[in-house]
Amino acid sequence: MLEAWYLIIGNPVLNGLVALSHILFDEFGLAIIALTVIVRLISWPLTSRQSESTKAMQSMQPKIQELQKKYGKNKQKLQQETMKLYKEAGVNPLGCLWPMLIQFPIWIALYQAIMNALAATPEHLLDLAHRLYGWEVVSQAIPLNSQFLWLDLGSQGDLILAIIVGGTMWVQQKMTTAPSVDPRQQATSSMMLLMMPLMFGFFVLMVPSGLALYWAVSNIIGIITQYFITGGWGYLKFPVLGPRS
Amino acid sequence: MTRYLKLFSKMKQVKILALIVIALFALLLVSCVPGGAPPARGWSGTAVQDGILYTGSVDGRVVAIDIETRGEEWSYAITVPPPTTIYSTPIVDGDLVYIASYSGKVLALNTLARGQNLPFPQSRYGEWEWDCPGAKVGNNAIVADLLVTEDAIYVSSSNGRVYSLDKEFGDVNWESDILHEKLWTSPVIQGGTLYVSTFDGHIYALSAETGALLPWFFKSKAGFASSPVLYNDTIFVGSFDRNLYAIKIGDDEPLWKFPGGKWFWAAPLVNEGVVYAGCLDGKIYAIEAEAGGKLWEFDAGNPVVSSPVLMDNLLIVADESGTVYAFDLNADPEDRAVVPLRPISINAAVKGSLWAQEGLVFIRGQDNKIYVLDIERGRLSWEFPLDY
Repeated sequence: MLEAWYLIIGNPVLNGLVALSHILFDEFGLAIIALTVIVRLISWPLTSRQSESTKAMQSMQPKIQELQKKYGKNKQKLQQETMKLYKEAGVNPLGCLWPMLIQFPIWIALYQAIMNALAATPEHLLDLAHRLYGWEVVSQAIPLNSQFLWLDLGSQGDLILAIIVGGTMWVQQKMTTAPSVDPRQQATSSMMLLMMPLMFGFFVLMVPSGLALYWAVSNIIGIITQYFITGGWGYLKFPVLGPRS
Repeated sequence: MTRYLKLFSKMKQVKILALIVIALFALLLVSCVPGGAPPARGWSGTAVQDGILYTGSVDGRVVAIDIETRGEEWSYAITVPPPTTIYSTPIVDGDLVYIASYSGKVLALNTLARGQNLPFPQSRYGEWEWDCPGAKVGNNAIVADLLVTEDAIYVSSSNGRVYSLDKEFGDVNWESDILHEKLWTSPVIQGGTLYVSTFDGHIYALSAETGALLPWFFKSKAGFASSPVLYNDTIFVGSFDRNLYAIKIGDDEPLWKFPGGKWFWAAPLVNEGVVYAGCLDGKIYAIEAEAGGKLWEFDAGNPVVSSPVLMDNLLIVADESGTVYAFDLNADPEDRAVVPLRPISINAAVKGSLWAQEGLVFIRGQDNKIYVLDIERGRLSWEFPLDY
């Protein structure tokens, strides 16, 4: 089982990262960013479906507001009609989970790759010998430079990165989370909107900065694609500055 | 319609639960997946002098064992919170045992003082302790074996510098420039010059007296994985490009390169014009030192992490799985290649350097035990657990 994991996911990610690092001026940080872009491209069909779904939900807002006016006092009927509307429009509320699930094995492989490739301990470096392919580009890159910008990619606990990951995750979620008609569900959504960024911000303090860099870049790519697909900031509302007309 | 309502409500709950479970699961897996974060356990080797065996334990103790009584003479714990471990092999010089820890300490321990369990360090016994500087945690770790000469002790540090320490007091004679991000290989010395291999593919020459970089250096595209070995003005060193390099001092091009299936991690052994190199591809190669031609090879089937040692006419090699082979170098070359003497298995991983003398081979296994093998009889003679 473990061998299969390394054969199918672990080793390809590790060798890909090491090779990318050598190609990208021996900058492991750039290799992580490149890998993030590749993963986002692979998961593009799912991401775009999710974004389309969000866009569809946005366009349905006037209809939902009409329903709210119509069935405001009958919660049960309101939920029935809302769900019916979603179903007719082909919107899947669980759609946003798939891109995350796809990336899940990548996170683990990336974590292992970072620890091995950066040779945090002598054991990691020795273990690396069994995982690397015989490619020239790979052998010339080992071991990798752990410094990138202000980060030591093999070290954990970078507060600035934690804030970036948490912040970008919040923005991305806020852009895609439709307001609920049910106050209880709205409260749950608000809690999730806050809890997930906080949790990931907390994770950043416990994992190597290289993995956190992946999360941060992935979130930023997510925000950009979401912005261009939905044609704006979605459900994210900025405070209006200056006098109102 | 009621079915839709229930489904919608359930889906919301499922979504929330799924997100929480995924996040927690991520944390769990990231913390626990094999290969995720194995702790540094060290692989200190063994050294024997005057009937006493010295080694470093997994839990960061220097242990002295009487070979005759097979009992512990003394042990000293290098207490640095969190507990440290030891990669370097002890070096015994008179009454002093020199050793370095992963926590960045170099210690000179006096066998008499330690035998009496006196507080450390006893300066009147010549004991001292030196802390390697590091910009951050782990940056000062010492992984390489110490190089001890008549005049000084040379230390390669994870902070990328080589240090020369005074043998008597442990004072710093000099520190080199930063040669690479980290140095995990030991230097070698010849004629007042230190030669250091680095992970970025350099062989640097340093003045042993001042630590200054000398004009000659060698640069390879791939980094060097092993410590260098010197023989007849030629440096033999393993590379991350799976080659064993022979580099004539002063030359810009390698004398030869010998390809292996994986890295040559362990420093090779050179004897009478033959280079004996264990490789992580599981093979032991005998190579002509001058021309780089292969004389013979033996497939142990498991990676060879520790360097081979010589005992009279016997070449002793241990593979990572704990099988120890002895090759009779006086035997017919063809027989030697395929028929080692009786292999002995200790069923414990071997990564540290071996010590061989008077028919016995001393090994510290990765299970934190000392194994003593009787090569002539082809069996395990005795073992000693280092755990409390």
